[in-house]
Amino acid sequence: MSARRQRLTAHSSRRSVASIAAAALLAAGSICWSAAPLAGGQAGTRLSLIVAIVSGVMSIAQLATSGIIAPSADSLWPAERVAWRLIGLVRWLPWADLTIVATLALEALHSARPWHTAVLGIGLTGYLLAAHLTESGAGASVLRAQLPLLAAGIGLTGLAVAAAALPAPPAGPGAALIRVAAVVIAVIVAGMVVPAWLGRGR
Amino acid sequence: MASPAGQEEPPQFPVRWGLSPHARRLLTLSLAGLIIAIITRRPEFAGLAAPALLLLASWRTDRPRQVGVRVSMASVVVVEGVQTSVGVEISGLADFGAALVIDPAETVTAAAPVILPSGMPTRTARLRLTPMRWGRRSLGVLVITFTDRSRVSEGTVRVSLPFVNCRPRPAQLTGSIVLSRLPSRLGEHSARVTGDGAEFAGVREFVPGDRQRRINWPATTRHGTLHLSTFAAERTQNLVVIADETADVGEPGASTLDLVLRGAAGAVTRYLAARDRVGLIIHARSLSWVGPGQGQRHASRLLDLMMASPGGWDRGVSLTRLPRAALPPGALILVFSPLLDALFIEALRDLRERGFSVIVVDVLNAEPSPAGGRLSQLTGRIWRLEQEAIRFSLTQIGVPVVHWDGISSLDEPLAPYTRRVVVARR
Repeated sequence: MSARRQRLTAHSSRRSVASIAAAALLAAGSICWSAAPLAGGQAGTRLSLIVAIVSGVMSIAQLATSGIIAPSADSLWPAERVAWRLIGLVRWLPWADLTIVATLALEALHSARPWHTAVLGIGLTGYLLAAHLTESGAGASVLRAQLPLLAAGIGLTGLAVAAAALPAPPAGPGAALIRVAAVVIAVIVAGMVVPAWLGRGR
Repeated sequence: MASPAGQEEPPQFPVRWGLSPHARRLLTLSLAGLIIAIITRRPEFAGLAAPALLLLASWRTDRPRQVGVRVSMASVVVVEGVQTSVGVEISGLADFGAALVIDPAETVTAAAPVILPSGMPTRTARLRLTPMRWGRRSLGVLVITFTDRSRVSEGTVRVSLPFVNCRPRPAQLTGSIVLSRLPSRLGEHSARVTGDGAEFAGVREFVPGDRQRRINWPATTRHGTLHLSTFAAERTQNLVVIADETADVGEPGASTLDLVLRGAAGAVTRYLAARDRVGLIIHARSLSWVGPGQGQRHASRLLDLMMASPGGWDRGVSLTRLPRAALPPGALILVFSPLLDALFIEALRDLRERGFSVIVVDVLNAEPSPAGGRLSQLTGRIWRLEQEAIRFSLTQIGVPVVHWDGISSLDEPLAPYTRRVVVARR
């Protein structure tokens, strides 16, 4: 192996370890953030927390084993065969998706706290991007093209949080639902308009 | 269709487009956020979904439906356990990055995937893989995954890799067994008779007609009469390898059939490299053979015969029916067999009675596993005694039987015969 290739391999493995570590930190941070305070949650908080922790750990294990290539069944020792079955178990379910749903459920089981939820959203998006970088083996530079979209998304999150933080006017029972529907529609419309606006020059 | 350069366009394959795993996770976050926002009537959850939703909206719609992919191999003949490579050329989808992975067939090991960046109309790569067992087999399927710049959409192309003839890995054999009597054909082994070789054989008195350039002057001065040096003749040897494919017992990858083929391949390779004349007889469902010959093309014929012969067993097969060309008189016969077929053992006895020098390499490394009962253990013991008796009876009639485990070099069991000339007895 040439010296240049050795350097490249070492660099890519370092990058992979760094992105797995980043994904693990963001997942752990998001779960802790959504669980706090543990005593303040409604019924089902503990169950959601357990599901979130298990799926979070499994999703990190899934990321760590994503680069392993399936060996030939004939050339495996018994211990390797057991290890390969464990890897198959880790790869069996979409653990990252489960982590997201469990973490959001954990947050929803607590009382309304708009800014707290916004920070959780940014943490979860960061976790997904770190997981994606680990899987694809790419560097953080590939996200440069998506920075305007991310900035616009964070802006929309801020707007939604501000709308939630506004004092509710004295109105009928349907007012809250209408307010939520308005924010949902605004987010979807912005999601369709902003990329088209950003890509108009291409 | 031909391109302007004259080279044929690569075949087109359909691309199946879908969401990438990254996009699926973003979709999960967006949908979960929006659904929780509506159920709990908390707008901040809808805001939480906004970054993921915006990233998903960069989904490209102008995606080509087909891509040109050409798969090539330097040779369709490979050797088990030896790494080979597949060349891949992709034409089209220049805006998309491509990840090339081999989904290997059974008993094939693939190396790491190759990532090709976007930006070039034609991209090439070489993927490495190793077939782990001999036979005519498929190498697997090449899976190419195309990803756009935002890595939201993902296109997959599956291309079947070509079939290859995987030859058995030749067993290591550095020494060679040489008989005392060799046919009078020019070769590289020093014979016992004198001739025009390079190896010094002795000194004798000069007789009229001898070549003057061979006069040994020191001996002539000592004796006072003319003496000359004699040299050993250089002869070739006929070797016939018999591969017994009637049984296949043991662990796959180290079964008797695997060892028979690897041993036979090792012997064929070694003796042909020593410029001997080598023939091959495959004893299986039907008897197939190639008479002794020399050269690289002959080596290919022999190795191809090993791959082509059907395995199995047939009662009607007999070595006595072989023509003289397949078993030339005075040939050394090297047999690779688990010695499980009684008819084959009879055929070996018959060969010895016909005056051939036979050496058997026993490749049986497995035995029936006892069920646990007393009767079963007794049966196993009788079977082992029977096997010992077969080997002893062969040794008694002048057919040496050596055991090879398939792991060590073939030099180890054959050492008693490669260190000195084997006397051919009739």
